[in-house]
Amino acid sequence: MEGKREREMDYKRSSKKPSDLLLWKIREFTRALVEDLSNRRSPEILIDRFRNYCANAKANCSCSSDLPKGKEILTLQKESNVHRIDVLLRILLIVQQLLQENKHGSKRDIYYMHPTVFSEQKIVDQGINDICILLGCSRHNLNVVSAGKGLVMGWLRFSETGRNFDCISRPCTAHHIPVYVEEVEDIVSVAQYILVVEKESVFQRLANDQFCNTNHCIVITGRGYPDVSTRRFLRLLIDILCLPAYCLVDCDPYGFDILCIYRFGSMQMAYDAKYLRVPEIQWLGAFPLDSEKYCLPKQCLLPLTSEDKRKTEAMLLRCYLQKEVPRWRLELEVMLQRGVKFEVEALSVHALSFLSTEYIPSKIRAHLEILSGDCSFAMKSGA
Amino acid sequence: MNFASARELCLYLISSAFQRCRLSDDLCRLSVILKQSSPASDHPVVQISISDTGIGSCLDDFRTLKFSGESVGNDEQWDGVISVTNTSVSDNEIYHYQLNLKERDSARRLTMLPSNSKNGVKFSGTEVCLSIFISINVLRGEINRFFQKILILKIPSVAIELVTEYGSLLGSKVENLFLANSFNPLPFSASNLERLKSGLEDYVLKHGNVLNKQCDLCFQSLENLKIGSGTASHAERNGNGGLVMEVVIILSEISERTSTCFTSCSARTEVLYFRDFSTCSISQSSLKALTSIDWRSYGLTLESVKDQGGYVEIEWENLPPHTRIDIVLHAYPKQYPTVIIPSRRPKVQTDGNLIKKAVKLALDDLRNKHAGVLLSAHSLKIRSYAPDLAKTISGLILCSNDPDFQHECFSLLGLQSQGVESEIVEASIKEKLLVVIDMNNRKPQKSKEVAPFLFEDDHFNEPGFQDEECEGEDAFSATPMDI
Repeated sequence: MEGKREREMDYKRSSKKPSDLLLWKIREFTRALVEDLSNRRSPEILIDRFRNYCANAKANCSCSSDLPKGKEILTLQKESNVHRIDVLLRILLIVQQLLQENKHGSKRDIYYMHPTVFSEQKIVDQGINDICILLGCSRHNLNVVSAGKGLVMGWLRFSETGRNFDCISRPCTAHHIPVYVEEVEDIVSVAQYILVVEKESVFQRLANDQFCNTNHCIVITGRGYPDVSTRRFLRLLIDILCLPAYCLVDCDPYGFDILCIYRFGSMQMAYDAKYLRVPEIQWLGAFPLDSEKYCLPKQCLLPLTSEDKRKTEAMLLRCYLQKEVPRWRLELEVMLQRGVKFEVEALSVHALSFLSTEYIPSKIRAHLEILSGDCSFAMKSGA
Repeated sequence: MNFASARELCLYLISSAFQRCRLSDDLCRLSVILKQSSPASDHPVVQISISDTGIGSCLDDFRTLKFSGESVGNDEQWDGVISVTNTSVSDNEIYHYQLNLKERDSARRLTMLPSNSKNGVKFSGTEVCLSIFISINVLRGEINRFFQKILILKIPSVAIELVTEYGSLLGSKVENLFLANSFNPLPFSASNLERLKSGLEDYVLKHGNVLNKQCDLCFQSLENLKIGSGTASHAERNGNGGLVMEVVIILSEISERTSTCFTSCSARTEVLYFRDFSTCSISQSSLKALTSIDWRSYGLTLESVKDQGGYVEIEWENLPPHTRIDIVLHAYPKQYPTVIIPSRRPKVQTDGNLIKKAVKLALDDLRNKHAGVLLSAHSLKIRSYAPDLAKTISGLILCSNDPDFQHECFSLLGLQSQGVESEIVEASIKEKLLVVIDMNNRKPQKSKEVAPFLFEDDHFNEPGFQDEECEGEDAFSATPMDI
């Protein structure tokens, strides 16, 4: 083990490209497999386990540490393990080829290379995650991408592998979020904040209302559960532009879950959470009490289904809510107590542009006021 | 000791005679003579003489015998009388007496007859005679079958003959000899287990010892015969010395061409059971133990386990064609050979767990000695991945653009570095994978059990979990380990 680490350090020192190091790691992995088999040893593949939350908010858990929380051992003794190793090796072979030839492939491309073995896309996704953990890298390092589904508009300009994305020239026109986020450069913006909306329908509403013409901002949607590209792109914009980010989701358990994925990252990709989460993001709405505050008629409120309730109860147990965003947790509790949910679009019940002209601006003003209040308090305290 | 039929008693008397021979220090002879007195009848009287030159018997060996059968059935009738002639080495006389096993009054059961002087000659022996109204061929068949089974114990010091005289009208006489060492002889020093293994092998090769020599049609090569054995024993309890259980299992694959031998292949197995060097019917607890063995982990599925009245028959559900399984179990006290005649042996219960343990050891032995044999369905499933895994691993080697890495892998695989073809690399990896998978299959079941999850909370599943990267959280499972 020590020898391997030394060899890795030597290789890092002599290597020219990050892909060379990954190829070296793939070869080391393969060599270890062959060595085990040649010595009549049953190979064991150790994969670190990551999690970004647990269900024990009271305990002193280490979920926020980004460190592995244990290991999984894949062996040739259990059929499910052997299938997983089969999948892992097949994807590893494809990745080796992509890296050697400096090409990119999508998750879907990989799936269609062995559809019978993989049987469904999520098996490939799991295999890619396993490889990322094994090689200690992010998915894009493997030259594996997913077809981006996120959209962006607003006061922003950037380029990606020679392509210019000039959103500023028409700030209310949607652009696809680039697939090769790592290749994005020359980011220029005069926006004052970034607004992340859960759904495309809300995004289109804002586009139709020319929201970005009257508000100097960047609007992003992951169209439901956000993909890696959308989250990496959002993370990149915040890192480069240092803008505040707000998130607008439906007032239902799924909206809240999506909000949490932007804020804390997903469990499945917990190993890469530090590159994907956006701790700065603030919850703009919709809150359970907004239905009263904005006088939503009863027919816009839907009762929580039993599945909604189960999901909400499970989410309430997540340790990070209690530790890091207790106010969000309180709002979730209120949702469960009230037993109703509503979509952001319901706020348009009184006027089609209510969201653009009233709701969002007032919420952002409220946030800014709280912020300035905090600042003045801090200044007074300092004085 | 109580008997319900004369035939049963007859086999017991033969078995006792065999034990006396077995325990003698000298080579001994056991003769069973069946003589038909009136051949005209369907069920004539058959005079039976069972004589041995073994260690000699005593009166008490016969006094304890009781007969509860009515003997009025169609197939046998008996007056209940046995005539015994016996002497031990230490005796100066040869004793004669008659016992009526049907007599309830114990004072009238025994009739002592005048004895003869041995004139100073040292020898020992016993002869028991009785006459039964029975079909001579039925009786002969049963005794024949008994000796064919006894040969499995392969006791070399006992020569057995069975003589059948069909009466003066037919004038015919059939003699059968049963000699343990006439085929595949073993040294006299061979252990009981070695004898049992060799004995069962002979039994299989000679189709149940029906033939005098190996069936060349079915067994052209002994490679098709796979033998495994296992021994389990009790620790000494209550001073009875404990019990040893020896099990031998033979898996035979018979060439398809020779399937004309009708007994050679069968999905049924007669479990041959010996107790204290004597054939024995299997107890209910032993039957239960056999049923409860995890045969599936050896790729075998029980269709049924039936007590066929005296012997147990296992029917297999998925036995490949032209395959046969033979099983023999032998239980005897650890203090052998001091315990002798069945009537004098202490009662030691055969533990079901002892049978299970010994059978499992025999199955494991078979699997360890013969690659690819008795693999569980689980193991076969894992083996089915080997070609794909080998192909991918060889792909990772051969598609690499680093020749040094390739040479290193070839060297690890024991292949030459120059001009290696992908098929050879693949075949080499596949072979090594199969070795490792078989090795895993042979490990005790315990080590294959899934370790408990380290984090209990890792199991909580939130409903509606569907984020794009989060799908398939439970698509696979693995063994977590603390670090």
